[in-house]
Amino acid sequence: MRKSIQAGVGLLALSAVAATPVAAQTATAWLHVRVEEVKQASKVSVNLPLSVVEAVLKASPELIERHGRIHLGREHARHGLKLADLRRVWKELAAVGDAELVTVESEDENVKVQRKGDLVLVLVEQKARSDKDGKKLKGAEQVRVEVPVSLVDALLSGEEDEANIEAAILELRKRRGDIVRVQDDDSHVRVWIDDQNAQAPAGK
Amino acid sequence: MLKLAIILGVPIAMLATVASLGVVVVDVREGGPDGSRIIVPVPLVFAQAALALAPIAAPADKLRLPHEAAEHMGLAREVIEALAAAPDGELVRVEERDEQVLITKEGRTLKVRVTGKRENVTVNVPLHLALEALPGADGRIRTAALAGALGSVRFTDLVEVHDGNDHVRVWVW
Repeated sequence: MRKSIQAGVGLLALSAVAATPVAAQTATAWLHVRVEEVKQASKVSVNLPLSVVEAVLKASPELIERHGRIHLGREHARHGLKLADLRRVWKELAAVGDAELVTVESEDENVKVQRKGDLVLVLVEQKARSDKDGKKLKGAEQVRVEVPVSLVDALLSGEEDEANIEAAILELRKRRGDIVRVQDDDSHVRVWIDDQNAQAPAGK
Repeated sequence: MLKLAIILGVPIAMLATVASLGVVVVDVREGGPDGSRIIVPVPLVFAQAALALAPIAAPADKLRLPHEAAEHMGLAREVIEALAAAPDGELVRVEERDEQVLITKEGRTLKVRVTGKRENVTVNVPLHLALEALPGADGRIRTAALAGALGSVRFTDLVEVHDGNDHVRVWVW
């Protein structure tokens, strides 16, 4: 009788553990977005399986034409953004290897674009601003974007003025880790990919 | 004796048949010592019949979404289908000082929970019901398909609201 009770309690405990929504590893890649606003004491977490992201991208006919390709039309080309040119430049850069591609230093912000190993890093540092009396108008802000080289390769694998979104998604499925981090006085934004179906309670 | 058995048996058998086909139950409980309780059971067959007959009774334009909304139905369908096929997980969590919103995918159900200081709301959306409820590309709401899908959400809690001492629950039995 006692054994039966113990077994019952054990089973109940097991079912309770199973019902607890804890982050668990899945076979699918998940895109996570976390936004924390300190002043508002607000935290927003969004977790989407990449298959859902893919469905959204594929089903946006205005943006993406058939077969998951973005068509950059004449309108973009007129403003100097021609994908064929971008593809050519990217090919040239690939041959160079690790390098600091862009550095902009100004009173307000520093921007750095560099290729480091298999990543293209974009770092933006916005300096804190204050008025004449020294009163703080805006806090410092840091943006860090990590784009895998293979992702850019995939995106540019389309033909002429088409970006290959399908191939880019396939690359994203392989990627694990941070993609974007934005940090300023008031808010933190983090976008990353992993195999977890939820975010850790601390948001780490 | 046989007459009595028939008089009692026929309605009971009819009730049992209707109940076996499913019942949508709306249960409203008011808090407080004088709070009343209202339970409205609606046989699923009635709801299904009403939905199936809706196109006859309602003008066609009332059962059609505006063009601006209808053109996004393809996207909505793709997203719901992808969600249905995706593994379970926590999709959205919003934590604010006084309120928490949680949207999770559990099996083929999307669960929305809003927890406030005074009010707690739980809505369970069966994904296949959402798919059936989605109008087609022409914006037409397919009430007959929706009626058919209702039968497959039996034994599901659809909505539960706790507001102070008041409690509302809608479920399909």
